[in-house]
Amino acid sequence: MPDMMDQATFRSALEIAIKGNSANKSPFSIAWAEGKLSRTHLARWAENHYHYVGPFAEYLAYVYARLPAHFTEAKDFMLSNMYEEEIGGDRHTDLLIRFAEACGTTGARVKDPDNMSPTTRGLQSWCYAVAMREDPIVAIAGLVVGLESQVPSIYRRQTPTLREKYKFTDEEVEFFDLHIVSDEIHGERGYQIVLAHADTPALQQRCLKICEIGAQMRLLYTTALYHDYVENDLPLRDLDLAA
Amino acid sequence: MPKVTLHKRGEIVSDEVAEDSNLVVRAGIRRFPYPHLTYGCGMGKCGKCACRVIRGADQLPAPNWKETKRLGDRIDAGFRLVCQLWITHDIELLQDDALNAAASRES
Repeated sequence: MPDMMDQATFRSALEIAIKGNSANKSPFSIAWAEGKLSRTHLARWAENHYHYVGPFAEYLAYVYARLPAHFTEAKDFMLSNMYEEEIGGDRHTDLLIRFAEACGTTGARVKDPDNMSPTTRGLQSWCYAVAMREDPIVAIAGLVVGLESQVPSIYRRQTPTLREKYKFTDEEVEFFDLHIVSDEIHGERGYQIVLAHADTPALQQRCLKICEIGAQMRLLYTTALYHDYVENDLPLRDLDLAA
Repeated sequence: MPKVTLHKRGEIVSDEVAEDSNLVVRAGIRRFPYPHLTYGCGMGKCGKCACRVIRGADQLPAPNWKETKRLGDRIDAGFRLVCQLWITHDIELLQDDALNAAASRES
């Protein structure tokens, strides 16, 4: 078993575990950032993304319930994260549906679970499994640090493109704008909790592993979106990604 | 690094922040201006983070659509939504929670 890491070393190891599998590397994300997706492709993304992020407060609720009562600050963070997802301002999924409708699909199609791909179903199931089964600090590492903390960097790349290349209005892309602020807070607070509470070498190693797996899961999900909905219209060679 | 000065409840607090900082993000992760800055949704909807810009307003970008929608006429009086600002220069702000709550009730 490796030695106990100090907080700075541990944080750096967590960041490396995520960065190695960043979803920014997927062909779907690259095509998005280059302005090569159609509104139909983006509609399929929204129909899938809803089923991954829609239950995020539910994932967190399982973790909240299993955190020991004396982890007051961590519990309060989970509660405020849930509140902000659902009722702090506009419900985040309502803004996702607004974007989806601007892409040409409907709220009914977005909410229909039959419209998610098997890989999206896999990511959603993984999130529920982590929330219900893992040590709560490991679950925060996977869901908040591994997944949620990646969002600002992804959306910082994608949002200007949505305005400039795809010509969406500010109101239509509010879902992305808001996450640049909210998930910066959530991701960083997640780091603070994991750094403070992963207090054994074994727990630190489990947090590192789940961050790596979480980032792999998001990369897998995003890559599958490309293969399921985009590849026929936009082959890898058009993205300079052919082997 | 930009220096941020916040007037709140008769107290003046000040510190430097990294270039391109969002003060609501910083408060959310428990860094200055935490615990002084009041904020809510972080998405330009609730108006709890509204501040009057005392100094440095000329270097801010024009109010975006959320600020225009939420603040209305208060923009002319120098108010901005801090959650919508990324700080690149020295700035001095005044926040009055009672005033923000009253404005929220009126809208």
